[in-house]
Amino acid sequence: MTLTIALSKGRIFEETLPLLAAAGIVPAEDPESSRKLIIETNHADVRLVIVRASDVPTYVQYGAADLGIAGRDVLIEHGGDGLYQPLDLNIAKCKMMVAVENGFDYQNAVRQGARLKIATKYPKIAREHFAAKGVHVDIIKLYGSMELAPLVGLADAIVDLVSTGGTLRANNLVAVEHIIDISSRLVVNQAALKLKYDRIQPVLDAFASAVPA
Amino acid sequence: MRNWLLPEYIADILPATARQVESAKAAMLEQFRCAGYELVLPPLIEYVDSLIAEGDTALDLKTFKLDDQLSGHQLGLRADITPQVARIDAHLLGHRTGVTRLCYAGSVVHTRPNGLMSSRQPMQVGAELYGYAGIEADIEIIELMLSTLDQVKVPQLRLDVGHTAIFRGLATAAGLSPQATRELFAVLQNKDAASIAEQVAGLAEPYRSAFLALPELYGPASVLEKARTRLPSLPEVELALMQLTAIARAFEGRVAISFDLSELRGTHYHTGLIFAAYAPGWAVELARGGRYDNVGRRFGRARPATGFSLDLRDLIQILPERGSAMGVRVANRHLPAAQGEVERLRAAGEVVIIDYLGESAEAIGCNRELIPAADGWQIVPFN
Repeated sequence: MTLTIALSKGRIFEETLPLLAAAGIVPAEDPESSRKLIIETNHADVRLVIVRASDVPTYVQYGAADLGIAGRDVLIEHGGDGLYQPLDLNIAKCKMMVAVENGFDYQNAVRQGARLKIATKYPKIAREHFAAKGVHVDIIKLYGSMELAPLVGLADAIVDLVSTGGTLRANNLVAVEHIIDISSRLVVNQAALKLKYDRIQPVLDAFASAVPA
Repeated sequence: MRNWLLPEYIADILPATARQVESAKAAMLEQFRCAGYELVLPPLIEYVDSLIAEGDTALDLKTFKLDDQLSGHQLGLRADITPQVARIDAHLLGHRTGVTRLCYAGSVVHTRPNGLMSSRQPMQVGAELYGYAGIEADIEIIELMLSTLDQVKVPQLRLDVGHTAIFRGLATAAGLSPQATRELFAVLQNKDAASIAEQVAGLAEPYRSAFLALPELYGPASVLEKARTRLPSLPEVELALMQLTAIARAFEGRVAISFDLSELRGTHYHTGLIFAAYAPGWAVELARGGRYDNVGRRFGRARPATGFSLDLRDLIQILPERGSAMGVRVANRHLPAAQGEVERLRAAGEVVIIDYLGESAEAIGCNRELIPAADGWQIVPFN
């Protein structure tokens, strides 16, 4: 009975290593230096698959991976249907925020009944946030360099992940509203949890015991 | 648009498989018949009002709708057969006061696929038992579900059992509003521990702890013991745990069984015991069911009810190969002289194929040939 864990490169991978270690799982290679997409571990029956962060829920939902680690942002955008999310891993923490160009009168722009142009990679979160405030928004879906949108007149504001705020500052933007806190969650395929309970539950317990405060 | 293209999640079933599917369906219906389940064939379309119970937004979203030019009312393409069968039991067979067992097999249509692996036109096969609230009825339905899957040789089946009355009992006792109940239902369904914690933060004990414990209460039968210590002893909870224990005893040693007290099956009509069958190789459950007492109330008769269903399309990959019987070739030039003999052979179950083009044995699927004999016709090898 093999166990496949879907992970994305970069921060999530780095911060997951201690959790894997707690479960006695050590990757055989570093995905940053290897070009392999399937990474073996010190257990013959445990392997890691390296996928884009936003694809993790899809892999796990399909059963192509039994477990995965995905940010709350990704899970909300994906919908999370058909997945168990039993553990907040408290890693890869950041905030989903609204940011505007320095000097833009945001408070005046978001009064009830107003209409705003929002550039974001997270249309679902953005739409929901502004709907709750009673503000109409036109969403402009972008895939990167969000900070540029208000500067070139493409959007009034952006909705994006902010961790240190460095990129915002460098581009003369300011965060004006906090939407939600983001951290990474452990996701589990529903059928896998039932069928591989004996194999998965110890990993889950080990992760739970090693979650950073 | 390419005119041969089918919509996404809609597929043809091609010759060999179509035969497999039809015979599997026939075998399942035969098994139901022998267990006393009467076959019903509800229509593909009917009024939306009868297909979808008020408030069942999940089913509502799943249902394709169209306008009826005859009545001016809105029609729905059925997305689930269970409500139709419930309507039949409540209304058309309303004069029956005892136990009614009904079964069905037919296509349903979904606006969106249930999952990434699902078809938007599942072939739903199922059985329902009305008029008996006892746990024996649930056991009968689970047994029928397991033997249906056994018959098509699903390997390493696992039965997973839950009980919706635990969540409902706790929600009522904790005084949750309908809105809060729906939201908690949604996150509990995903065992989304972090969101559950957020939602129940303001609740009084022992309910806060109970809701926090629910997503952890899954696994082997020993979780039922754990549940007794971690959940408050409300009458609904006690009864549910008693029923789950009865199921554990009934199926112990017969099938791999696990329990999941936060499993709610996503449907809002279930009222008690719910269950599903899983097997390695399937990312979702293969068959599912449960108790949905009083679902017939909106049709004028509330009755205890339990049942299960599966999608035959999920099983296609494992349906037994039916050794396609090789046929008998008859050259076109022998007709109509051979007509009588051809009909006699066909009536006896032989596949007899008229060869217009002079095809090879493999192309026409025949290993024998009908040729004239001294005193009539004879079958000789063909290759």
